[in-house]
Amino acid sequence: MWTQLNSGAGYWNVFVWLLFFAGMSCLVLWLRSFGRHDYMRNTLQDDIYWSGNEVPEDGAKISVPASASYWGFRVAAAPVYAFLDRLHNGSASDYAGYFVVTAALIGALVLAGGR
Amino acid sequence: MSRHLPAFLIMTPMLGAFLSPLAVMLGRTARNAVLVLFSLATLVISLGIVSATMGGNVLVYVMGGESYTLTMPSGMAYPVRIMFEIDGFNALMILCVAAATFAGALFSVAYMDRFSGWKRYMSLYFMMATGALGMCATGDLFNFFVFVEVSSIASFGLVAFWRDKPEAIEASFKYMLVSQIAAMLLLIALGALYGKYNALNMAAIASMARGGTLDKIVLALFVIVLAFKCGAFPMHTWMPDAYAEAPAGVTCLLVTVSQASFYGLIRICFSIFPGVGGAVVPWILIVLGCASMFFGVMMAVVQHEIKRLMGYHSISQVGYMLMAMGVGLLAAGGAEGVYGFKAMTGGIFHMVNYSVYKALLFLCAGALYYATGTRDLDRMGGLVRSMPWTAGMFVIAAAAISGLPPFNGFISKWMIYESSFAVHPALTAIAMITSVLTLASFAKVFQAAFLGPAKAALSGVREVPCAMLAGMAALTLFILLLTLFPSWFTSRLFDNAAHALLNHQGYVSAVMGGV
Repeated sequence: MWTQLNSGAGYWNVFVWLLFFAGMSCLVLWLRSFGRHDYMRNTLQDDIYWSGNEVPEDGAKISVPASASYWGFRVAAAPVYAFLDRLHNGSASDYAGYFVVTAALIGALVLAGGR
Repeated sequence: MSRHLPAFLIMTPMLGAFLSPLAVMLGRTARNAVLVLFSLATLVISLGIVSATMGGNVLVYVMGGESYTLTMPSGMAYPVRIMFEIDGFNALMILCVAAATFAGALFSVAYMDRFSGWKRYMSLYFMMATGALGMCATGDLFNFFVFVEVSSIASFGLVAFWRDKPEAIEASFKYMLVSQIAAMLLLIALGALYGKYNALNMAAIASMARGGTLDKIVLALFVIVLAFKCGAFPMHTWMPDAYAEAPAGVTCLLVTVSQASFYGLIRICFSIFPGVGGAVVPWILIVLGCASMFFGVMMAVVQHEIKRLMGYHSISQVGYMLMAMGVGLLAAGGAEGVYGFKAMTGGIFHMVNYSVYKALLFLCAGALYYATGTRDLDRMGGLVRSMPWTAGMFVIAAAAISGLPPFNGFISKWMIYESSFAVHPALTAIAMITSVLTLASFAKVFQAAFLGPAKAALSGVREVPCAMLAGMAALTLFILLLTLFPSWFTSRLFDNAAHALLNHQGYVSAVMGGV
């Protein structure tokens, strides 16, 4: 069969997954049908609530910039980022240095290895 | 005719490179026709090569002769001729390079239309494709070096294509500096091999190499240089800069040039020096792979310049392939042989996936830059309304690279997870954490670029021209085919490629005739 892939420990079949996805979608739609039916489009119910303030027309003023995403993750992983920032310092001579040091290390390891 | 396919494969883009300046002088239509038709012809030839290598066949093509040796009047035979040797593994690589060349060319027709410098753009573009295809097809190590240099020099020029941007010049300079140090090491390795074996033919060396100090030094030099070229941590630092500054069509091809280096690395480890260095070499690949995966994605998560973010993801994705091939090299010959083979199949599947979805992601990034004039995600937003086709194709590529079921990226990652678990569960854990961070990173890109309220500064943004969409659609179609029919591709192409890699004797005897 062109769609089923066996790994030795299990199998993957994309159409089984799609069938499952379709089944779950039907279940979600059925649950949704229990919701309220008195919602009206294009009325005040559609308006954005922005802490009681007037919503600016330009979307740029109410967007979270990409550079602010995952701020907490960055703070939590600060030591890793301190190391990575030092590594990516933009200096071409440092980049050549990383290459030379890695080359020496790999060369020594391979020479010390068997055969 | 079909037996000359390897020669046509190299000749076609090379002819395109030399015809390009003439075509540009003849006008826009001739220019576009040469760009698209020569890349399409290369793709058709590569499909012919893939078809010819199915079922374990090995194509051997000698330039200017029947035998790869040159017999001297004294009777001594020297393996000196230029030769191509293509089995299931490099045929697949050739297809990836040709597909990216075609998609990048289609995209460039509209993307580069508003810029000048077409003569050098097209010539260098085709030369870079020639170099990458030659790296994948050649059966001679010196020619491999020559093709590495051809693709490198073309890529230095293309990374610095926008000469008025200091960042582009700087990116090209950094890449060139470290690349030339690497090239010198490669040349030293070739000199050492020639001094010892009096040959540079890959199969001839594979038949004679038995280990020993010089072989180990040469192997180490090849591993270092080719790991650098494919962007392994900590030698990856050229990659985000180069990928970010090159025009989008070029970045699409740069991805496959780095894959051609990955091909060289794997060919050296499996077919030319199998077993040399013991378990150290596979573990070096595994460690480089894990470090590349993790640190690459950690850097990607916090980027807000879209092409730079994708450049860091390239490092992370190369890590998966390095780890899979390391596991394959470590386990294929031992008690865990089944998992070793599965790791190699998964690694090869991932390599193809990566070439396709990463190329598509770079084209989507190029489309965003084309439409908005910025690569900064902070300045984008709400673009799904004005660029629905680009958004749709971006979602497919992002889901595939993040390993979300049912996309092709999930399937190859699943194979890598299962096989690496047999070597050590920590490897699987690192790979899965990387996958989660990849998803987080692309969720950020999608949210920042396509969702949210429309920004006033982007009110005039429209969908990109049809030629650009066509380039992206070709790659999207390839992703969907890999997603829907993974077993067909695995049984006919990826397993075949993994068998070809493991069949060291077959690789040697195709040229040497049962030595």
